Amino acid sequence: MEQSAILQMQGVNKTFDRVVALSNVDFELKHNEILGLLGGNGAGKTTLMNILFGLYKMDTGKILLNDQPVTILSPRDALKKGIGMVHQHFLQINNYTVLENIVLGSKVSRPFTANYQAEETVIKKLCAQFGLEIDLSARIETLPMGTRQKVEILKALYRGVKVLILDEPTTNLIPQEVDSLFQTLKVMVQQGLSIVFITHKLREVLTVCDRISVLREGKNVISLSRKDASDDMLVRAMVGEGMDLNKSVIFAQDKSRDSKAENKTILRLSGINRINAEKVQVLTNIDFAINSGEIFGVAGVAGNGQRELAEVVMAIQPSNSGTITLEDEDITGMDTKKRIAHGFVYIPEDRLSDGFLNKVSVAHNLILGYHHLEPYSKNGIINWKNVKDSSKKMISEYSIKTTGPDEVGGNLSGGNIQRVMIARAFSQPSKLMLAHNPTRGLDIPSMDFVYKKLFEHAAAGMASLVISEDLDELLLICDRIAVMYRGKIVGILPREKFEKYEIGRLMSGYEQSSGENGKRD
Amino acid sequence: MTGVEAFLTDFLKLTFLSMVPFILAGQGTMLGGRTGVFNVAQEGIMLTGASVGFLVGYLSKSVFLGALSAMLVGGVFGLILAYFTTTLKMDQFVVGLALFFTGLGLSSLLPKLALGVTLTPPLIQTLPDIAIPLLSKIPFIGPILFKQNILVYVSVLLSILLWYILFRTNLGLRLRSVGENPKAADSLGINVNRYRYLTSIIGGMLIGLAGAYLPMVYTGTFTDLMVKGRGWLAIALTFFGGWSPLPILFGSLFFAGVEVLSFQMQVGGSVIPYQFLIMLPYIATIIVMIFTFGKAKVPAFLGQNYDRERRTL
Amino acid sequence: MTQIKKFLPYFLAIVAAFVAAGIFIAALKFNPIKAYETILFTSFRTPNGFIQTLMKWVPLTLVALAFTVPLSSGKFNIGAEGQMIVGAIGAAAVGITCADLPPVILIPLVILAGMLAGALWGLIAAWLLYQFNINEILTTVLLNFVSFALIDYVATGPWRDPAAGHPTTIAIGENGFLPMLIKQPPLHIGVILALVAAILIYLYTNKTTAGYELVVTGANPRASKVHGINIRQMFLFSMIIGASLAGLAGAIEVSGTHHRLIEGLHSNFPTLGLIIGLIARGKNQAVPFVAFFIAVLEVGASAMQRTLQIPVQVVLIMEALILIFILLSDLIRRRQK
Repeated sequence: MEQSAILQMQGVNKTFDRVVALSNVDFELKHNEILGLLGGNGAGKTTLMNILFGLYKMDTGKILLNDQPVTILSPRDALKKGIGMVHQHFLQINNYTVLENIVLGSKVSRPFTANYQAEETVIKKLCAQFGLEIDLSARIETLPMGTRQKVEILKALYRGVKVLILDEPTTNLIPQEVDSLFQTLKVMVQQGLSIVFITHKLREVLTVCDRISVLREGKNVISLSRKDASDDMLVRAMVGEGMDLNKSVIFAQDKSRDSKAENKTILRLSGINRINAEKVQVLTNIDFAINSGEIFGVAGVAGNGQRELAEVVMAIQPSNSGTITLEDEDITGMDTKKRIAHGFVYIPEDRLSDGFLNKVSVAHNLILGYHHLEPYSKNGIINWKNVKDSSKKMISEYSIKTTGPDEVGGNLSGGNIQRVMIARAFSQPSKLMLAHNPTRGLDIPSMDFVYKKLFEHAAAGMASLVISEDLDELLLICDRIAVMYRGKIVGILPREKFEKYEIGRLMSGYEQSSGENGKRD
Repeated sequence: MTGVEAFLTDFLKLTFLSMVPFILAGQGTMLGGRTGVFNVAQEGIMLTGASVGFLVGYLSKSVFLGALSAMLVGGVFGLILAYFTTTLKMDQFVVGLALFFTGLGLSSLLPKLALGVTLTPPLIQTLPDIAIPLLSKIPFIGPILFKQNILVYVSVLLSILLWYILFRTNLGLRLRSVGENPKAADSLGINVNRYRYLTSIIGGMLIGLAGAYLPMVYTGTFTDLMVKGRGWLAIALTFFGGWSPLPILFGSLFFAGVEVLSFQMQVGGSVIPYQFLIMLPYIATIIVMIFTFGKAKVPAFLGQNYDRERRTL
Repeated sequence: MTQIKKFLPYFLAIVAAFVAAGIFIAALKFNPIKAYETILFTSFRTPNGFIQTLMKWVPLTLVALAFTVPLSSGKFNIGAEGQMIVGAIGAAAVGITCADLPPVILIPLVILAGMLAGALWGLIAAWLLYQFNINEILTTVLLNFVSFALIDYVATGPWRDPAAGHPTTIAIGENGFLPMLIKQPPLHIGVILALVAAILIYLYTNKTTAGYELVVTGANPRASKVHGINIRQMFLFSMIIGASLAGLAGAIEVSGTHHRLIEGLHSNFPTLGLIIGLIARGKNQAVPFVAFFIAVLEVGASAMQRTLQIPVQVVLIMEALILIFILLSDLIRRRQK
């Protein structure tokens, strides 16, 4: 059936500073379809859609809505034209209620009193129409991710959008919530909307999308309907010729793993509890051990204590009770500096804000955390020559594009900033590597590189603790997976027992089951 | 009336009188802060407001014009702050400090230029008290609450109005969202820049008026550095009041009370050397901050500039 | 060539500020050219002018460093005024009460007392930050006001010089006077002390491990904390170091320039110190040079007021304009990248 296009973008170019994000890109969305916009991180998908939504301005290009050229200079324009967007990081006011978040910025019937009853009625109707169940008077910060996402969708529906863009919508969802989301999308299309689904996950586009467009390095690669697409075709389109797919971890045909785990325990947490500054118990009775050569994963929906766990292991936050041992030595009282010196390496989740220094040199960045150890420092004096030599080595080994160790960190492009931090993490001898969402924001070859490095690390007998909100990632690389829910470890599964929906149930607080699929919304 | 009663009446009346600059400067700071603009130039703006307010009042023989021009000057400072931080995206502290210096220099320079050196200080008429009929006759609280100059009433009503606007209107909902999450506000079509400019300018006007209050009510003239740190105290007050209009109103009472107490003890004669009494308001503020700083509810994006095109990984 | 390119924006900013001030001066019916001449060249016309400039350079450099060192760790020390005043009080206290000690002991003692007193004053604000996370801009400023009352108390108290018309103490013991490099016009060794301090600070931030930690803490406190640096300690140390430098400035004024504690001896140095620190963009090594330039302007300003009757505040505004133009030019450079 030949559908007409509701939306077209033609010849879009966009450069940020000196980085070309989009080069002559065309885009087409047909009426009542779910279009998958596929590509690795940095491919330009979000940039393209941000232009459509008015957050960015394109350098050159045309946008056509129902064959009419339109100008979109701000989100306000986009919404007026019926285009809405659900971002990866929800744009919500945490201490407002759901109702307030939805009506914010729109015309209300009673602007001079805080009476939104008329609006509430309209929204309740919408909820019924699209099968969404949300408590409108709840404060946003109290709601789980899946529900918060529904609020984002509701915001767009309330404004009568005809086009809805979803940016990596499954990032924070458990498998059951993903299914529910896909259901909702199908209902929306039936009700007359057209949807753009941005993702880097093959499985998802092949499940829910009608057509697929692939972007790579800011350029169009291919657009085709789902019927005509195959795994191989899409993989090739996403990564191009530069990557050796035979040696790839992500695209390996055989995803089994020869566990190199030995019986020697490297890290053990016993009875770890943590009550935070707001008197909330964020970690309860954490108990697990990681062996030499093992890759140990921690799964869970964001906000269930993962960050607190990482920070307690790294002594950024203290624990209230319990012990941590490193190779049988009690290190519970050891501070961050000493733990790093004893072989802990930390790749934090927010790598820009927690791991990079924009205003100082690349060399300063490459030695952060290790600056007080030899050969960088001796007797309190920094040996800048050693620092520079070492930096030059890391720059070449990790292909960091920079003019040299003295270049100001902030000049580097996003991808190279990530490389700096990966170089720093993997260049140090380590016993325990703690990586939190290690591949978030990385393009596909870099993701593969990190996985390979983790495997090397394990093969050399070292232990890895990988905390990730991307379940697929953990299923791919881990020997065992622990599931966190509300600050507790609710289950630990060995690789033989990995099953997505089972883990999803644990992630949402259900007991380990005997085989039934639970639904929770 | 007994001695204690007289002291108390005096003390309370003076306190209500003295809370005005705190209220105005505090609300002015709060408004900007609610959209994310952290103004630290208050001391300089108040000084310039005092200087200009006095000069115009003196030269035009109209206190009203003086007050108006103080507000105008304050608004200009607010505009400059908004331009440099919101449009040019420069660091808010640095711009605030630069404006503080400018205000410092300007406030001292203008009287010298306009009036030269005089043997006796030029004076303006200070604001008269306005007695509210009936209410001002109530024993004890009558003269304290209902026989004050017009700006006392204005600043209290203003605080209530601000509370209502911020928390009971759609405008307030949008305004607050700009300081809580400018990207979210932007994505819903709210003009972040416009709100920041608006609150900076209006806030600056209030702060300028706060400065003019000093010559208009306290001394009748302008002297260098006469603000004596109240601008900085206003910042502490705003934190103390959780960036909300009504707590700021009540907090102003406290700050004014300490100031008046120190003054009355100096005047009344006390064993304590007067210099230590002068220190009282500042030390009291520091102690207050110890108790409130950790728990202060602050707009999430206070002090941070918003750049729509800034990419985060 | 790139060196010149680096300094061009600063040069242009200064020219722009001068032009703006010139317009202002002309509007006031004064002669801008004569004003420029006086402002810029008074320091170099006579040996007296030059020495005066150096004598201003000493406290300006120290007080500016008192701002830039904490700024390196990301903290705003606006309290150099109070720290200088309390440093002066400490130095005078020792200089008066221990007047009989021999110079070889008394002089270092007076200087150290000043540094220590200043450091303690800064410690109050630094500790409030460390313990309660209270914004240091507020506490340092409030403590400034407290110090004004304090010096008034000391200068009108038991050490008061009854013959003086303005609150001043009696002189400190002669053994506590800073040695002079030149007798006439008077140039004391404070110049050397300030120079040494500047060099030490430079070595500290650029060559030591502790200096590295300071710099990265300022660049990204969160990342530094995550990688093991005790950032709260860094804030504390940088504030204390800054405060002791301001205390040193106070001690030098007491022991070298006035030989007694005078209320108001801090003059406009702390305000200018902030401006110098901001013009130097927080770079410790640029501070001595910017401070010298400002010292020249200040000497010129008083001469200008004396001989041409143009109020000194004009120069303050010019200095504020220089700062503003430099900040703008920074911005333009960033945009061009």
